[in-house]
Amino acid sequence: APISPSEPIGQAYSLALYMQKNTSALLQTYLQHQGSPFSDPGFSAPELQLSTLPSAAVSFKTWHAMEDAERLSRAQGAFLALTQHLQLVGDDQSYLNPGSPILLAQLGAARLRAQGLLGNMAAIMTALGLPIPPEEDTLGFVPFGASAFERKCRGYIVTREYGHWTDRAVRDLALLKAKYSA
Amino acid sequence: LKRGVQDLKCTTNNMRVWDCTWPAPLGVSPGTVKDICIKDRFHSCHPLETTNVKIPALSPGDHEVTINYLNGFQSKFTLNEKDVSLIPETPEILDLSADFFTSSLLLKWNDRGSALPHPSNATWEIKVLQNPRTEPVALVLLNTMLSGKDTVQHWNWTSDLPLQCATHSVSIRWHIDSPHFSGYKEWSDWSPLKNISWIRNTETNVFPQDKVVLAGSNMTICCMSPTKVLSGQIGNTLRPLIHLYGQTVAIHILNIPVSENSGTNIIFITDDDVYGTVVFAGYPPDVPQKLSCETHDLKEIICSWNPGRITGLVGPRNTEYTLFESISGKSAVFHRIEGLTNETYRLGVQMHPGQEIHNFTLTGRNPLGQAQSAVVINVTERVAPHDPTSLKVKDINSTVVTFSWYLPGNFTKINLLCQIEICKANSKKEVRNATIRGAEDSTYHVAVDKLNPYTAYTFRVRCSSKTFWKWSRWSDEKRHLTTEATPSKGPDTWREWSSDGKNLIVYWKPLPINEANGKILSYNVSCSLNEETQSVLEIFDPQHRAEIQLSKNDYIISVVARNSAGSSPPSKIASMEIPNDDITVEQAVGLGNRIFLTWRHDPNMTCDYVIKWCNSSRSEPCLLDWRKVPSNSTETVIESDQFQPGVRYNFYLYGCTNQGYQLLRSIIGYVEELAPIVAPNFTVEDTSADSILVKWDDIPVEELRGFLRGYLFYFQKGERDTPKTRSLEPHHSDIKLKNITDISQKTLRIADLQGKTSYHLVLRAYTHGGLGPEKSMFVVTKENSVGLIIAILIPVAVAVIVGVVTSILCYRKREWIKETFYPDIPNPENCKALQFQKSVCEGSNALKTLEMNPCTPNNVEVLESRSIVPKIEDTEIISPVAERPGERSEVDPENHVVVSYCPPIIEEEITNPAADEVGGASQVVYIDVQSMYQPQAKAEEEQDVDPVVVAGYKPQMRLPISPAVEDTAAEDEEGKTAGYRPQANVNTWNLVSPDSPRSTDSNNEVVSFGSPCSINSRQFLIPPKDEDSPKSNGGGWSFTNFFQNKPND
Repeated sequence: APISPSEPIGQAYSLALYMQKNTSALLQTYLQHQGSPFSDPGFSAPELQLSTLPSAAVSFKTWHAMEDAERLSRAQGAFLALTQHLQLVGDDQSYLNPGSPILLAQLGAARLRAQGLLGNMAAIMTALGLPIPPEEDTLGFVPFGASAFERKCRGYIVTREYGHWTDRAVRDLALLKAKYSA
Repeated sequence: LKRGVQDLKCTTNNMRVWDCTWPAPLGVSPGTVKDICIKDRFHSCHPLETTNVKIPALSPGDHEVTINYLNGFQSKFTLNEKDVSLIPETPEILDLSADFFTSSLLLKWNDRGSALPHPSNATWEIKVLQNPRTEPVALVLLNTMLSGKDTVQHWNWTSDLPLQCATHSVSIRWHIDSPHFSGYKEWSDWSPLKNISWIRNTETNVFPQDKVVLAGSNMTICCMSPTKVLSGQIGNTLRPLIHLYGQTVAIHILNIPVSENSGTNIIFITDDDVYGTVVFAGYPPDVPQKLSCETHDLKEIICSWNPGRITGLVGPRNTEYTLFESISGKSAVFHRIEGLTNETYRLGVQMHPGQEIHNFTLTGRNPLGQAQSAVVINVTERVAPHDPTSLKVKDINSTVVTFSWYLPGNFTKINLLCQIEICKANSKKEVRNATIRGAEDSTYHVAVDKLNPYTAYTFRVRCSSKTFWKWSRWSDEKRHLTTEATPSKGPDTWREWSSDGKNLIVYWKPLPINEANGKILSYNVSCSLNEETQSVLEIFDPQHRAEIQLSKNDYIISVVARNSAGSSPPSKIASMEIPNDDITVEQAVGLGNRIFLTWRHDPNMTCDYVIKWCNSSRSEPCLLDWRKVPSNSTETVIESDQFQPGVRYNFYLYGCTNQGYQLLRSIIGYVEELAPIVAPNFTVEDTSADSILVKWDDIPVEELRGFLRGYLFYFQKGERDTPKTRSLEPHHSDIKLKNITDISQKTLRIADLQGKTSYHLVLRAYTHGGLGPEKSMFVVTKENSVGLIIAILIPVAVAVIVGVVTSILCYRKREWIKETFYPDIPNPENCKALQFQKSVCEGSNALKTLEMNPCTPNNVEVLESRSIVPKIEDTEIISPVAERPGERSEVDPENHVVVSYCPPIIEEEITNPAADEVGGASQVVYIDVQSMYQPQAKAEEEQDVDPVVVAGYKPQMRLPISPAVEDTAAEDEEGKTAGYRPQANVNTWNLVSPDSPRSTDSNNEVVSFGSPCSINSRQFLIPPKDEDSPKSNGGGWSFTNFFQNKPND
């Protein structure tokens, strides 16, 4: 029997809201541990992007015109990439900041929540009868020889995009929730 | 012949062959050279067709060289080694490689030493060019020694600028300094430039990347950007850009500070991108401090050290420590990711079996350097064993146990020193040392002796090696109760006969724990007569007495205590005492809760002394407790919590002989005496008019609370319920006190009492503890009949006598009485109608007297012969002319009463001058009526001073009391002043003469002067025979006289 989509949507929405509360703290904690100028107040480098991580930025029109399946698929792909990148950033930081358990714990928690959201989204897609995209290795071979500076920047982009994608997921799920609420 | 160095030039590159050239002479073709000849040579001439020649090196000194031409022309030169230049061959760079991570270049070339004489010094000059700069960034001289073989030389150079950022070129030249060559030594040519450039293999634009540098050093960071670099910064501090070429820029960083964990960020910003790198600035490892190695088990050696100064580097850059043991070649590595401060680091190395001496080297390494510490130890002297575990205690007997513990470690080659701490409750801890042969991972056993039976012990242990290094920590504690042993002594035994004398009660004391040696289960009491046991009783603990019905024979009672281990030796005591008739009861008082007893040593007493005591008021058998004292003692202090102050105890001192106990002394005593709590019960046995016989009873011992020291008896006149007698204060003067110290006295007769008077009697007993309460009683003495009769008879007799005398006097003076009171011819003076004439008559006299002006006062001494104590009437009558009224002269020092007057018609009479002198005081006798009032007026002032004196009825006039008369006797006169008094003012009694000039004056003193002429006044000059006899004073006038004399009563 098909499961009602409202329950997994509600669960995913709750989790996304909870994640949203912690994203800025994660970014701040991360930047504080990277030294100046990362740790300087108001630090921002929007020009830094990672080719392996899809950007959350999308025009509202495009976003609004998306089908549920595409919207969920994009988010699914992004959080899949984010979980892998958060793992990478965690490794990088244990090399750069081995004595900072708070940062490492926050990165680990963010990764677990992203995985949790992935699971919720899969449940939604199942409930909606949508195909679940296969897991991909988004990172590939790229990052192992990265310099410390690249690792810091990479971590910055990942934690930043994690926040952006979480914000977008909240919007996505709010829309779905409104649509499928009994 | 031409000669000149200029013309023949010779060089050499190997000092073996000289290459000489010379210019052809003018007009001579160089191709026409025929040969060259060098003098002093074996084959001196060489055919030749050019103007240069290679000749083997010539020996030092000048050599003549001749060149012959075909045309016969001949040139001659003098050739010397000094003129030859040594120019080495141009060196060739074998290899130039770059380490881009360290920005260092490695140059390799061959010194071609085989071709040159050796030893020779070679000096190399290397220049490094940095594209596009033309001047070298480095120009370095380098000396090597040529060894006769071809050797590849190395040169390493580190660039300030990362090699990635510019192409670097290297060239080299050299010259040779040989001691065997005296000619010129010149530089070779520069080798061809060898370039090194970075082949871009990453997207990285900034160099160096992830470099670890010494804090405080300077460095250059370069950035190769495809677009224009706008700024470069370290952290958030902008640094000036140095343009290298194209868009490649660099910044210098001076004195870089220690980085935080994630490194120091260096960033270059272009229009559209950010490039950066991270530099880790820190310090090389400090020399490991306090390196110390020891072993817990002789299997593994653990070294500890303090890392010293922090390096500021973490993660993979953190210091890695390697502990290397050089004898066994074993090593261990310590690496932790986090950099901690002030922590002791530890690293263990497995021991090689059998190896005792260990030479440890600890090396700390990080990317900036390394540091070492070393220590050599004999591991058997550095044993700090683990904590002993698995403690076990096993009984061997009641005083010996086996204590065992497990100690991991291979101690087969050493001896262990262990300390066993033995702790008994309420006792000091005892530590015993035990040296044990070591074993491997073994349980160690030690016998612990000299323990007390049936005692709880706590054991614990710690160990070290015999060659002491460190104690292990104390093990956990192990509790153990030793087993029971037979009681070591029989119980302390005593016996008493029951009050009826039929039963013997045997008492014993529980054994102290150190003698009981276990839990006492029961006591066996047996009695034997003539060594034949008659009866055995088993009494179970905790009962400590047994009652045996015995006849009065000499039984031996024996008491045995028994615990699970067995029975104690018997305590024996004879049932009968040895009689002693010579016993007196003594008294003793203790202090606090103890009593001190002494006795004389008695050599007959062979076993011991027993002091037994009991509360004297308890019924028989009398036993509270007893104490045994060794036979050599002559004193003891009996102390017991049961002793109470104010309770009488009996103490009995027994001596012990082989036959039994004998009472030696009997003592009654108190630990502290208190005051009796009851008063003696007393009764009046007999009462008479002047005595009372009182009898009292003994106070019971319990209520006496001390040794009776006497009685206090006191008594006072008083009736029941009057406030004065309700409580008697012994110190009051009215109270008579008798202290009866003879405590056997039980009666007391109180004599000299007044008859028919109530007496308040009080009796109190006292001890050294104080006075007991009082018992009081009121007793009225009987009436005295003889006194009463006398009291009646005397007034009757006096009245009769007075009546008779009066009658006789009246009879004998009847004529005078008649003449005085009932004259046949009345005296005109008594006639009121004639008063006026008299006044006129008197007035003329007064006028006459007053005319005697000034009046010279005369003094008359008036003395009285009365036997009562005279009082001074300090009065002076002053002439108004001589002195102002109210002024008074000082009291006459001779105490004479001086009456001043103007001698009038009045006669004076000196009654008894002698009495005045003897008495030292005088009775005032007034000469005339007026002067009598004078002291009266003065006394008025004094009257206010002592109002108490005039208690009772008071006359309405103020009574005149002379101040001089006032004395202690004043009180006695209370009653006498309380009589009838005329209610009129005495002043009004003045005989106011109309002739008197001051008749209307209120001042009596002055007034009195105006009436000196009364005939009646003559009477008053006679001193009164009695206190106050109105009869002797005529009519109403007697009152003033009465008052005047009154103070003398």
